[in-house]
Amino acid sequence: MAPADKSRRFSPMAHRDDLDAFRAEVRAWLQAIVPEGWFARSAGAPEGEYLAFQRWWFDELQKVGLATPHWPKDWGGEELTLRHQVIVSEEMVRAGAPNPDLFVISLYHLPATLFAHGSPAQRERYLKGVTERGEIWCQGFSEPNAGSDLASLRTRAERRDDIFVVNGQKVWSSFAAHADYCLLLARTDVNAPKKQAGISYFILDMKAPGVTVRRIKQMTGQSEFCEIFLDNVEIPAENLIGAENAGWMIAQSTLSAERGLIIFDLAERMHDAFQREIAAARVARPAWWEDDELRRAFVAHYGDLQALRLMIQRMLRELEANAETGASSLPPLIKVQWSELLRRHTDFWLKAGGLEAQKYSPPLTGGGHVTGNRLQDFMWSYSWTIAGGANEIIKTLIAERVLGLPR
Amino acid sequence: MSETDADIEELRASFRAVLEDAAGDIRRHVDAGAARCEPLCAKAAELGWFSLMTPEAFGGLGLGRAAAAALYEELGRVIAPLPMMGAMIATEIIAAHGDAAQKAAWLPRLAAGEGAALSASGVAPNWDDSRFAAGALTGHARELLDSDAAALLVVAAREGDAARWVLAAADGVTVETEELVDRTRGLATARFDNVQGAALTADPDIVASDVLTHASLAIACDSVGGAKAVLDLTVAYLKTREQFGKPIGSFQALKHRCAEHKVAIEAADALVQEAVAHWARNDPGVALLTPLAKALACDVYAAMATDAVQLHGGIGFTWEHVCHLYLKRAKLNQALFGGSAAHRDLAARLLLAA
Repeated sequence: MAPADKSRRFSPMAHRDDLDAFRAEVRAWLQAIVPEGWFARSAGAPEGEYLAFQRWWFDELQKVGLATPHWPKDWGGEELTLRHQVIVSEEMVRAGAPNPDLFVISLYHLPATLFAHGSPAQRERYLKGVTERGEIWCQGFSEPNAGSDLASLRTRAERRDDIFVVNGQKVWSSFAAHADYCLLLARTDVNAPKKQAGISYFILDMKAPGVTVRRIKQMTGQSEFCEIFLDNVEIPAENLIGAENAGWMIAQSTLSAERGLIIFDLAERMHDAFQREIAAARVARPAWWEDDELRRAFVAHYGDLQALRLMIQRMLRELEANAETGASSLPPLIKVQWSELLRRHTDFWLKAGGLEAQKYSPPLTGGGHVTGNRLQDFMWSYSWTIAGGANEIIKTLIAERVLGLPR
Repeated sequence: MSETDADIEELRASFRAVLEDAAGDIRRHVDAGAARCEPLCAKAAELGWFSLMTPEAFGGLGLGRAAAAALYEELGRVIAPLPMMGAMIATEIIAAHGDAAQKAAWLPRLAAGEGAALSASGVAPNWDDSRFAAGALTGHARELLDSDAAALLVVAAREGDAARWVLAAADGVTVETEELVDRTRGLATARFDNVQGAALTADPDIVASDVLTHASLAIACDSVGGAKAVLDLTVAYLKTREQFGKPIGSFQALKHRCAEHKVAIEAADALVQEAVAHWARNDPGVALLTPLAKALACDVYAAMATDAVQLHGGIGFTWEHVCHLYLKRAKLNQALFGGSAAHRDLAARLLLAA
């Protein structure tokens, strides 16, 4: 391999009309930019370092157009096709590049919401806030008594002329402690005939008076999740997204936002981890390879992963042919297949790892979900079986909407 | 071959139309335990299904593996008792590895629907059960699939120390059929006492690998078709069967199981289709994908069919209902040409070797 030329300027977008050249340029850029050993160094690093690293990485992505490649050009994106995005993702995995975890809501959920339902002024202000100032967003959906039954949320937003006054409590908001803004769901009509019909969707400035964020220490030892307390917080009416009381419908587009592409990236990272384990086993067979049950479980998971990657490809083809939401019935199936495979496979590594896997080592962040820190990986698998709709909710949805079973 | 996806879907629709009309034949065949499923078998021969993969020079349709895979999936949907696998595998290996005389002798007969049997015992052939010397077979061949009324026996044998694939006419050979619990397929043991045969000259390991790939994908496609059909059947039942004053399909415990089967079947389908695509274009990647697909599809089908009986309740346990036929075929599919553990071990060896 030729040494990376770190001095030259990289421009993948200049090659967008030629997929091979585009891939080559992304690869060359990654080779020059991804710091060697970043992953190992991130283990147990202080939070300040993690945040600085995430910001640095976001800026680097931004410089070559790869932070928001999926956004329309009018909003600072590159309007890349799904095929381009898949190439970018494949190359990121190949290079072992970090994920911009801190910016997931900013990069996926915010645009999915504003493109479809935001006002021109909101798009101008907040999308550029992401592309030009790297603003961090969090999501204020769940509440202590509204998890899977999200429509039961009780955070109240009362209109007083040009403002809404908000009171209530949100929970499980990732990175809320670092966020500049929040996508907030709150009840604006307590007398609506259906609980879904009285909910509105807001942009909340996290620096507004009355907003208090408290971190939640997770079973992993980390504190990514937060509680958000809202005490007479004033939100200007111009920060209402879409029509008053139309928030539930808008939230559906946020929830389905690009989940497929995020899972695509994680599945590719898992595949990469498999390839590395197999390559290592060729050099020296690990003890578990000689155990029939474990070896067969490993191979079964490998097959399940290939099936998952093919389901994702199928979904991408369906979405490429028809970008309408709902054009593919696969997203909920993919969520279940991915999350349950992640649980099984991270559990496999615990079994294969024996007592060694029980020993504490500092968590790694930003590297996907099969990092080699076995117990940490296993615990993190819950983030996919619970977050974004617990699998039990998703299975009910599959049964009713895909199989047509009665409610 | 160069059939487009649209061609394959058109073929699939034509297979399905014929097979959906054959439900009565299939039921009568199962209930009577009859030898060949008629008139379905005759109809299939007339429509050229047995000649799907036979080169046109030998009177066949000369279609590719993707077309065969579509047929296998459709046969699985209706648990069709057609001896298609033996005939198509024999056709493919004779067309690929046979000499001119072997092709001329067998391809037209197989294309006409005369049938061929071969051992379905495991992932590797039993070379040592039969001896081949001076053009004649002695010994026996066990667990021959599709032996009912088969004209040709494809036998793994030893000639000296070497492995050989031998083609022998079934005429005059003692074939003892073993009744299986699944009445849509049969197994038999053939005994050879100086039976005339002709060996394929090709590398026997390459032929063995072709046989296993074809058989594994045929069974995987059959399993995906069967699993989809029995899920549809179960969902339809849950929508109409009422208890406690409402359709039992509204109960969450049942919904979740159906959703889990749906996810698993979709996953198996994706993996099997990918393996078939590699097989159809002769891509070496088929070697690893095939055992993964066989194991996954058979396990998913067996889980679905097992649960289908439970979800149907008492009616699912009756002979009259069709559920048990899917369950029996699913269990047999898991065991034919080696179980899932054997296929995963095969995949494990390939992963390490690659």
